[in-house]
Amino acid sequence: MQHKFYLGSAVILMGLAYLMWTSFQQSTSMHLTLGMFMEKIQLGHPTSDRIQLGGSTVVPGSILWDKYKSKATFDITDGENNLNVKYVGNTLLPDTFKDEALVVLEGTYNNQKTSFEADLVFAKCPSKYEGQDYSNHVEAMQETGY
Amino acid sequence: MIDIGYFALCTALIFSGYSTFASFAAGRKRNLSLARSGENAALVTCGLLTLAVIVLWHALLTHNFRVQFVAENSDLSMPVFYLITSLWGGQAGSLLFWGWILSLYAVAIIIVYRNRYRDLMPYAVAVISSSSFFYCILHLFSADPFTLLPTIPENGRGLNPLLQQPLMAIHPPLLYLGMVGMVVPFSFAISALLSGNLDATWLRPARRWMLIPWSFLGAGLLLGGKWAYVELGWGGYWGWDPVENSSLMPWLAGTAFLHSIMVQERRGMLKVWNFFLAILCYSLCILGTFITRSGIISSVHAFAESNIGPFFVTFLVIIGVSSAALLYYRLPKLGPENKLESFVSRETAFLLNNWILLGILFAVLWGTLFPLISEAFTGQQITIGPPFFNQVNTPLGLILIFLTGAGPLVAWRKSSTSSLKKHFARPFLFALLSAPIILGAGVNDFYAFVSLTLCCFVVAAIGLEFHTGTLARKRSTGEGYFIAMFRLSSKNRRRYGGYITHVALVLLFVGFTGKAFTTETELVLQESETRRFGEYNLTFETLAYGENAGMQSTAAVLSLHLNGERLGTLLPERRYYKAFDQGTTEVSIYSGLLEDFYLILVGWSNDGSAKFQIYINPLVKFVWLGSIVLIFGSIWAMWPTGRDRRVAKIDTQNALNTNKTVESI
Repeated sequence: MQHKFYLGSAVILMGLAYLMWTSFQQSTSMHLTLGMFMEKIQLGHPTSDRIQLGGSTVVPGSILWDKYKSKATFDITDGENNLNVKYVGNTLLPDTFKDEALVVLEGTYNNQKTSFEADLVFAKCPSKYEGQDYSNHVEAMQETGY
Repeated sequence: MIDIGYFALCTALIFSGYSTFASFAAGRKRNLSLARSGENAALVTCGLLTLAVIVLWHALLTHNFRVQFVAENSDLSMPVFYLITSLWGGQAGSLLFWGWILSLYAVAIIIVYRNRYRDLMPYAVAVISSSSFFYCILHLFSADPFTLLPTIPENGRGLNPLLQQPLMAIHPPLLYLGMVGMVVPFSFAISALLSGNLDATWLRPARRWMLIPWSFLGAGLLLGGKWAYVELGWGGYWGWDPVENSSLMPWLAGTAFLHSIMVQERRGMLKVWNFFLAILCYSLCILGTFITRSGIISSVHAFAESNIGPFFVTFLVIIGVSSAALLYYRLPKLGPENKLESFVSRETAFLLNNWILLGILFAVLWGTLFPLISEAFTGQQITIGPPFFNQVNTPLGLILIFLTGAGPLVAWRKSSTSSLKKHFARPFLFALLSAPIILGAGVNDFYAFVSLTLCCFVVAAIGLEFHTGTLARKRSTGEGYFIAMFRLSSKNRRRYGGYITHVALVLLFVGFTGKAFTTETELVLQESETRRFGEYNLTFETLAYGENAGMQSTAAVLSLHLNGERLGTLLPERRYYKAFDQGTTEVSIYSGLLEDFYLILVGWSNDGSAKFQIYINPLVKFVWLGSIVLIFGSIWAMWPTGRDRRVAKIDTQNALNTNKTVESI
């Protein structure tokens, strides 16, 4: 009975491993900061994979909406690098998407190597104050008129 | 006033520390008066944290913007309701709220078990108080809610408009009640290991106190899904975001625990496994809190990166290592009293159920932590998207739903072939007869077809369990059918409450299955224009504009018809909150029994046209219905029966007699 039990457990484990392996192949994105991504481009490394770009914000004034504000092109920056992004996803851009919003994008670098085509945009307006030094916090509060 | 709050936190740190050591020492020395002292210190800790929460609420309600937390999470325009809920709108306040709930759980078990489980209680109080001690350290050294600003701002920053929604006001407290409450079954597991009382005694309080947070967590998860559905405007309710996953994982471990303890109670097996699950549940809660609040993994949820991570990692390591060491130390005494006798037995069904639940949990954990794992081994973060979670969990979920129906039909120890035939024949036949109807209804997706057919099987199996039990009672008591069913379910709440939650699971699966048939489109309509989508006719009548001090709003007025019959007026809306410089999307949903017509106003143009996004979401109502049934079933299962009350009375009496004997000696 014990042998059968171990055999059954092994079958379940192998089934799970198989499921995870096959699903894994189709669902991954390489997470890069904007700086790492730009470095890859400059070095001529292939950028055909699906990429998740994090750690950048929307450049103020760069958002160009289409007629009905459903699609947009915009620039993102990490303070040192800038990149043009074209949103090509099916869903609405999130409500928190706006100038200076912290964004995480998923998509691919287009064939002409001119802009990043994002089909997923996560935007959050993080608290400008949480996680900052106290002095930065006070400065930020004063800047925003509080 | 603010100083009082801070002072309360400092004092709570001392009392929770004392409670930890006094209770632990009381457990070692079996000293009742020391145990009482430890319990009283835990009660005082709760009182002090209550005071701190009241002080912070007072600061929010009186707009005391000198307090950094108040300035960051409220403003003068907010109604009282959202001022109250803004306590959990930011990191420091929500952690204080978290710690307060933890202390309330401590008070609850001290009151309920003041004269019961005397071997276990001192250690249980010590474990919960040590957690309280940890949160007090966090309040004072990492996320102080009473930090003052050097100057007083005229107004606060306010609460994000996306969070100013009744569902979002309730969702976090429910999650907290769930995540925090997992400390109680964990504390009883540790107390059993520490005290050496390794029989099934600890399972009794652990089961009840697992059901409570498990229900809260389930309700919190589903309310969060409902909020996402009505508020975020993407037509879905679950996105496999790391923060969502962080709450799902303890719920899965808790579900496994609630099933596996039955095997130990009945057959004396899976003892180590049950300890492992109780430890896993709480560890996952701490891990989830770490993921949510440290910002270490990219998530759409709004807690920013903070310095809180190292505290949680340290706490998690302490819990994991000490629990594992303790379990290892007791391992020789945790051998099973029985062995599996057959593959076709209730024990095996429970075991398989646990394997599947843990398989889902592992896949979710793997997918959630993979960016960190890949970075640790390759230096490159790889993220895993929703398709991974859906593809792994769909087949596993189907096995789980099958077991939901099949498990109760299989006998303990060994099911004979004739017994299997007898119990499986009718549910199997029902599923077989349902299959062509499901196909005829246009369900041609393989997984969806299997899911709905299995749901039919489970409904028939559970229905038969109720029906045969009711008939037996009816025969023996002469009661009417429904009275007999009610009393049968009331007398054995655990079993029938469990069946009700299984019905809830079926409803949830029906709802999840509907996702396979979601259709969506985008339409541009001129004023007065009608367009057909599916069976529906949608007429765009006009745009309406509104504005008040804090917000501008643009709403589209549309009428919806189905087969010539007017269903109603839909008002999708886009709002702009001036203080936040942020828009929100207010979707408009016509919710029928079988499908939702989900309408979003994308945008409009000066030429009078407007663009809409439409989702037709079949069966989504079953998700919300399943949520309600899940909560009802959980309450039914955890509500004490007459037998529970009698056992409690006897336990209390025995404990009092023992105390008298000790005192007289």
